[in-house]
Amino acid sequence: MVPSEQLKQLAEVHTKLLGELGQVIMGQREAIDHAIAALLCNGHVLLTGGAACAKGLLAQSLSRALQLQFKRIQFTPDLMPSDITGSEVLDEDAHTGRRVARFVPGPIFTNILMADEINRTPPKTQAALLEGMQERQVSAGGETRPLPKPFFVIATKTNIETDGTYPLPEAQQDRFMLNIEMGTLSQADELEVVLKDPASNLGKIRPILDGEQLLAFQRVVRDIAVPADVQQYIVNLTTASRPGTPQAIEAAGKYVAWGAGVRATQYLALGAKALAALESRETATVADVRRVALPVMRHRIGVNFLAENDAVTPASIVSLLLEKLR
Amino acid sequence: MSAAVPASVGKEHVQHIRDDRASVLREVRKIIIGQDDVVDDVMTSFFAGGHCLITGVPGLAKTLLISTLGRALELTFKRIQFTPDLMPSDIVGHEVLIERDGRREMTFVHGPIFSNIVLADEINRTPPKTQAALLEAMQEHQVTVGGTTTPLPEPFFVLATQNPIEHEGTYPLPIAQQDRFMFSLFISYPKMDEEKEILDTTTSNRFVDIRPALHGEQLLHAQQVIRNIPVATPIARYAVTLATSSRPNSELAPAFVREYVSIGASLRGSQYLVLGARARAALDGRLAVSVEDIRSVALGVLRHRIVTNFKAAAAKVDSDEIVKRLIEAVPAPRAEL
Repeated sequence: MVPSEQLKQLAEVHTKLLGELGQVIMGQREAIDHAIAALLCNGHVLLTGGAACAKGLLAQSLSRALQLQFKRIQFTPDLMPSDITGSEVLDEDAHTGRRVARFVPGPIFTNILMADEINRTPPKTQAALLEGMQERQVSAGGETRPLPKPFFVIATKTNIETDGTYPLPEAQQDRFMLNIEMGTLSQADELEVVLKDPASNLGKIRPILDGEQLLAFQRVVRDIAVPADVQQYIVNLTTASRPGTPQAIEAAGKYVAWGAGVRATQYLALGAKALAALESRETATVADVRRVALPVMRHRIGVNFLAENDAVTPASIVSLLLEKLR
Repeated sequence: MSAAVPASVGKEHVQHIRDDRASVLREVRKIIIGQDDVVDDVMTSFFAGGHCLITGVPGLAKTLLISTLGRALELTFKRIQFTPDLMPSDIVGHEVLIERDGRREMTFVHGPIFSNIVLADEINRTPPKTQAALLEAMQEHQVTVGGTTTPLPEPFFVLATQNPIEHEGTYPLPIAQQDRFMFSLFISYPKMDEEKEILDTTTSNRFVDIRPALHGEQLLHAQQVIRNIPVATPIARYAVTLATSSRPNSELAPAFVREYVSIGASLRGSQYLVLGARARAALDGRLAVSVEDIRSVALGVLRHRIVTNFKAAAAKVDSDEIVKRLIEAVPAPRAEL
């Protein structure tokens, strides 16, 4: 059972957060809700979308509103794992004159880490970040050091067409709870941005919550109930995306190379719980599941050559799944 | 190293192993739902002291399965993500210059391979030299850096995962390297009911505590016991016949092997069939190794040692199919009185 008091608080926090973020970011309501849901699920986010679609602003304004430490790493082709995790340096002790090794923590030791253009860096460096994400600890200099709590990675990816990039292997993409696609602005919103420059309001964002409270709300989210029929719906959705299974929809058999795995099932449930909690509901519904389906499943489905030929994308497979299964 | 090797293996030894298996399973089942076959096979390889190659799509919680087994056996666990730019020293370790009491000296910084269980994730993403560093350590249970040889912790297991999806830029493991793995296992999606149970238990606040059911020394002792289980000659001969029949130039090879197989199972195939069968019998609390024990490990032991040809690809016959047909074709020894 979830204390209704905490649920009421969570909905208030949600409203306040939307208010604060609204000063800085035009539109993008769905993307903002999804990002808040990911924070409540202790999940990492992969942000995609064209240039200048407020990806950095979203990450920065969230850290301000949540009073969390924020760091940003620009991933480059020459970035090394130790540029992320940190390294040992030789220090001379002022008193004894003896030299000792001292660990200098890298930028990963923060609450919110913005990993910009993650696919510009070679695989070993990507792997260093992804290992920290998964294990919430870093091994460097023969010692294992825990990362701060909470710890979130908000990574961005440049478009695949760009030269000189190292695509993230699918197993690595799977580490991100959500792949949130930032939408393009309407003409009216774009005009508003040009006239008012909302990004300059970043400094005006007021603190709504702190890390400790966020951790407490994460526990509340996990206590939200998922009824049997909603569980069945989640499993139906993921199973239907897997080619070669009897439940697969026709398009999955034709276009999908690999379908959504067990992590998709888990994150559909968790994401639906978060969306329910944000609306003060004690139970997740099928509608909640449908609302997180695209960001949970989009990066977990791989399509084949035939799909590329017919301009079928993972996102369109998810839309089809949602259409066929109601 | 471990407790004295028993001069002769008795019923009580294998019954002990059966009880160990039950208590490890009890712990593992607190976290891992379903995947019965994979759990059983990985456990068999641990008790036999062999390494495993695991093939499966991403997102099936392979890491969780293996790290949970590690916790139940009180073994240290490390995961290495293999990438195209990983170097041998990223696995085995390297030497650094440090200053100690005013003198500078070289110290060996242990790489992640110094662990009881190493999960080598996506091994076919890394170039051959780095693969070879891992495989050499697997074979020899030691690494050599800067002229010094350092033994690896015991027990030592490598579980390497491979992506089944065809990729550009992956480096397939040569057949001779694959041969070093005792088992090649396939992991697939859980059943629908299991998946619902996973959903239910992993997204709530339920706290699960895994207690070690066994420790490394005990596992090493069990391995010794298993190696000393007697195998009746007809049973061993059956294993050898099974492996030999998979070689296209052998007199024993059935017509379908001659038609579809380009490389058959090696000597290691026969050896691991017998070792795997011993482990199966012991985990079941039996001293007598049966034909069924050999058959139960045949797919895992043989599938990665048999290479099929173009004709097989055209006829959609894979090495699993060859092993299944071999089991049907090779007659079991008659029970001896």
